Amino acid sequence: MDRTTPEVHVPAWAIPTSLVVCGLGLLDAAYLTFEHYTASTTLACSETATVNCLRVTTSSYADVLGIPFAVLGVVFFLGMGLLCLPAAWRRPGRPLRLLRVAGAVVGVLVALYLVWVELFRLDAICLYCTGVHVLTFVLFVVVALGSAAIVDETLASEREYDGST
Amino acid sequence: MARRKAQPQETTARQAKLAELRAQEARRRRQMSIVMAAIGVVLVVIVGFIIAKVVTTSSSTPAASQAAAKVVKAATTVPPSAFDKVGTGAAQAAPQPISGNHSLTADGKPKVLYVGAEYCPYCATERWAVVAALSRFGTFSDLGTTRSSSTDVYANTATLSFHGASYSSRYLSFAGYETQDRQNLPLDQLPPEDKKVFQKFDFPPYTQSEGSIPFVDLGGKYMIVGASYDPSVLQGKSHLQIAQAMNDPNSDIGKAVDGTANLITARLCQLTGQQPGAVCKSPGVTAAAKAMSGS
Repeated sequence: MDRTTPEVHVPAWAIPTSLVVCGLGLLDAAYLTFEHYTASTTLACSETATVNCLRVTTSSYADVLGIPFAVLGVVFFLGMGLLCLPAAWRRPGRPLRLLRVAGAVVGVLVALYLVWVELFRLDAICLYCTGVHVLTFVLFVVVALGSAAIVDETLASEREYDGST
Repeated sequence: MARRKAQPQETTARQAKLAELRAQEARRRRQMSIVMAAIGVVLVVIVGFIIAKVVTTSSSTPAASQAAAKVVKAATTVPPSAFDKVGTGAAQAAPQPISGNHSLTADGKPKVLYVGAEYCPYCATERWAVVAALSRFGTFSDLGTTRSSSTDVYANTATLSFHGASYSSRYLSFAGYETQDRQNLPLDQLPPEDKKVFQKFDFPPYTQSEGSIPFVDLGGKYMIVGASYDPSVLQGKSHLQIAQAMNDPNSDIGKAVDGTANLITARLCQLTGQQPGAVCKSPGVTAAAKAMSGS
């Protein structure tokens, strides 16, 4: 019998790119978390009228239900990092793939909300926060494009087995 | 060489596999279109934000609103370096402790209560420092600009107004009332709970005179009655000149307003448990705290 085992083909760029983005995002969010819990005394950021990290990170919008957005950022990039491990990308079936895409979508929606807050509520931009927002968007693009480009032969074989199309 | 003829079952399986692969390819193309559309939507939203921001801060808003926005921006974003260089500067009075064990809070946070009026020149003076100090703990929205009465002392002093303004902060609550406009017409009414505080603490034995304004209660622990620096430094200056001078620690206005703001900030830091640290541990605020502890 010469039938090969069905495989999941992931675009070569998807795994390393997503992992690097998650790593950078994690570092950035971890720094903001450190600053949050050390009262922002060492926040290395210029404080002009427009760029003002302290104004953003100490604002009333800096947390949700008592949880700092910086901490949520760490949790997000850790979770997405796990979902972007090679084994997770190559895992057959849809659930993990959908979870990864859903995570990226939630991340980008939260980032859009925070950009809105910075521009229209606080009238100040935090460079480190902007870094996290950009990385979240890049991760969304990588995860979305990578997931759409996956060739999952196991789904084909499952349908063949089920007799479904 | 004999060729094996494909069995009907094998042919059917191959065709089914081919059809499935084609279907998967079509699905992938469809998914890719959805993904590209989603990325496009996110980019459009981001570009929309930027355009909306540019439009709201430029041509579409009336010139007067733009000027007021520029003033508020300059007054609420005084750089920490300016505060640090000024220290207590030319401030003449610090918020005084309120005797007894009182506390004023709202939403679980220490509350700052300001009662003043737009006609009042001393309120006009004090507001710049109050706004500068509170802006280090949170964000004002809809701060207005006005001038003190044209018929009172220090006539037409350019200032900000708390009428219609709101404030959000992780550390403090704020309620500001301008009871009359610059023509002495009624403006804001104090709600009963704030009126009660005003009528209790802005009267003897807590103050020497009854109901003086400006009255600022800092968390029920400290209060300011009157102007904390010489109002004459603001005379003849436009709103923008004052706001810009607040950013210059070498100017007379910067020394007076920022110095007073540092004293208020130091008191506020006592209410917030020295949070945020970047503000409360800054040289300007610690210098102000030291000056008050020594006084």
